[in-house]
Amino acid sequence: MRSLQRQDENPCRPRHFRPPPPCAPVVDDEHATALLETCRTRLVAAAALFTVVFLVVALRLVEIVVLSGGSAESHAGRIRAVAPPAAPVRADIVDRNDRLLATTLDSPSLYADPRQIIDADEATRAIISVLPELDPGEIHAKLISGKSFVWIKRRLTPHQQYDVNRLGIPGLQFEHQERRIYPFGDLAAHVVGFCGIDNNGLAGIERALDGAVKGNAGPIQLSLDARVQFILHEELTKVIGDFSAKGAAGIIMDVRTGEIVGMLSLPDFDPNHPGATDPALSPAEAKERTFNKITLGDYEMGSVFKIFNTAMALDSGVASLTKQYDASHDIHIGRFTIEDYHGKHRWLSVPEIFMYSSNIGSARMAVDAGAKRQRSFLARLGLLEPAEIELDEVAKPHFPVPWREVNVMTIAYGHGIAVSPLQVITAVSAIVNGGVLHRATLLKLPPGATPPGVQVMAPKTSEEMRKLMRLVVEYGTARQAAAPGYVVGGKTGTAEKNAGGHYEEKKLLSSFIGAFPMQDPRYAILILVDEPHGTKESHGYATAGWTAVPATSRIIERIAPILGVPPVDEASPAVTRALMIESLQGKRIETY
Amino acid sequence: MTRLGTVFWLVLVLAAGFTTFKVKYAVQDIEDELNRTRRQTIAELQETRVLTAEWTYLNQPERLAELNRRFLGLAAITAKQLQRSIEEIPLRAPAAPPAAPPDALVEASPGPAAPQAAATPLPVTSAALNPPPAIAETTRQADVISPPDEVSAGDGARPPTSATPVRLAKAGPVLPAPNSLDALIAQIAEAR
Repeated sequence: MRSLQRQDENPCRPRHFRPPPPCAPVVDDEHATALLETCRTRLVAAAALFTVVFLVVALRLVEIVVLSGGSAESHAGRIRAVAPPAAPVRADIVDRNDRLLATTLDSPSLYADPRQIIDADEATRAIISVLPELDPGEIHAKLISGKSFVWIKRRLTPHQQYDVNRLGIPGLQFEHQERRIYPFGDLAAHVVGFCGIDNNGLAGIERALDGAVKGNAGPIQLSLDARVQFILHEELTKVIGDFSAKGAAGIIMDVRTGEIVGMLSLPDFDPNHPGATDPALSPAEAKERTFNKITLGDYEMGSVFKIFNTAMALDSGVASLTKQYDASHDIHIGRFTIEDYHGKHRWLSVPEIFMYSSNIGSARMAVDAGAKRQRSFLARLGLLEPAEIELDEVAKPHFPVPWREVNVMTIAYGHGIAVSPLQVITAVSAIVNGGVLHRATLLKLPPGATPPGVQVMAPKTSEEMRKLMRLVVEYGTARQAAAPGYVVGGKTGTAEKNAGGHYEEKKLLSSFIGAFPMQDPRYAILILVDEPHGTKESHGYATAGWTAVPATSRIIERIAPILGVPPVDEASPAVTRALMIESLQGKRIETY
Repeated sequence: MTRLGTVFWLVLVLAAGFTTFKVKYAVQDIEDELNRTRRQTIAELQETRVLTAEWTYLNQPERLAELNRRFLGLAAITAKQLQRSIEEIPLRAPAAPPAAPPDALVEASPGPAAPQAAATPLPVTSAALNPPPAIAETTRQADVISPPDEVSAGDGARPPTSATPVRLAKAGPVLPAPNSLDALIAQIAEAR
């Protein structure tokens, strides 16, 4: 202030002179102190703020690193450079013993960038040395083409890929693609199904459970047993060869759970080449091969239906094991004549009707019970609606509407109603297991699990049916089904195929449905032979008793040890008492 | 005082910086290692998948049956050969009349009697030792198919590579069965 005053006071101050700015703020002492005090306060406040913030950061660090070690690690794990091991696009499918039925392998394709190839001659030589099936001239031409991309070979095997990698030629690259492989080939072709080139399921489990297969929830375990499949395959192939049949099919079901242990339909195909690449095959034949007779087939099963008819009559109380029906004359109704194949021409008791497979007796039994009872019983067994199973290829049953008396009669012995073999075995499993209907399934259940079931008939009816089915094998049409030790019981069926409204005598569908061991059934088996022809060994017969039945016996003998069914002494009191029919005791039973 | 403080903080900053970088590089190394291991795991898993598929392929029941027919001639087990429990196996009927009735024998000398009873040849064993004629026949057939010298020339445990699985009679024409997974994949590749 003073200096400023002094300058101003200068009397001879140059006109343009301006006093220089003061070097330091010229303030009063009191004023300066107050100002400095304010600054210091502000500084302290700012420092305190920073300290607090840094303290928070430090505390947070301590919390993350020391106090919650695990979560911090998992937090860090989330930001990792390499993705976890990539699971394949489609999950594996395995059988009940973890054998691979379908798997996905990485299959690389080899391509080259010719601009990067240094020495085309040498590269060609090297490629040919590991892929000898390629044409050297063609490869060389490709490598000197000067393009930026040429295919060398599509779909290499893992070993070939390794060999090519070992060559170490720059400019050779792989494009990776996943391929579905079925190591067992045709063994479970219809069940497992196959995939298209874009890895979408097109048939079988691959199609029906496409979402689950793609969901990568680990391998999908089927209830099938590859060994049982193989035995079915071998024996059915033999039957087709022996009787020059058009096809055959077989299914084996665990009657206590509804699990399908074996399912085979012949002719079949190799899912590794589903497109029927064999030029010898006509499209119709290729289609025939992919047709699953068990689930998609819709057949008039013939006498096999007498199981349902008899069970219906017994369960409704209309008939008993001692009741007799007149089977001495053919039945004429409308334009139909119902006759017996091997008629006894007398009154027959219910066990006799079943054992000798009498159409007349069965028809009379059905009429006795009436259309309403018959229809509702078949509906309860699930024979009037498509089977429920983990496959999309499921047939819709055909039955008459309206349900007339003539239909009642023909349905009694399995004509005029067409169902799939899968429906039949599911229903028969319920009939022999004590009357509990389980849904058929292709997925393995955990051991000891008891799936929900519906009681569809009295346990007593089931017991009587077991006795009757055993009788057929002991004395009736299926004596050749006796696999000694395994107490087989069942029913044969030989139906003439319906071609455009009339039945063809020469085109038969011979089938046998059985269960074993009959005193406490574990497995049901259905064997179907499509259009068998009689041979010298079968005395010209192509009926079920000569075709499906002996095959069933051989199959049961082979699969029973695998399925853990112990053989028993069939003459032991425990077995005979369980399967004894009182009304036939002491009588001489005529064999069929 | 101020200078000393400055030096102290400078040293601290340098030390902290150095440690940070050291830790950073160490972490980077570990991450690289982790990635390497992960890549290796993926490769190993792929390899395992391929080997499992190949093993399954070589265990095709058809192929095993054919190998059995060639080299072993084992027959399917029959109900006669199966017994449910040890009680069901009948003991051999007492041969020559012993000096004392069995009960007395056990009481008199439990030592030697018990093992003797256990060592009694069981009917099951004898049945297994004397194969039924069907087995003998298969074995004979196997001999015809592959002469003994060829069998011994083979590696023993491993079947000769030429032993392609022979398909059983089929309902119709089929493609020739490839003898390895590689061949199968190659065949698929051809087809597509």
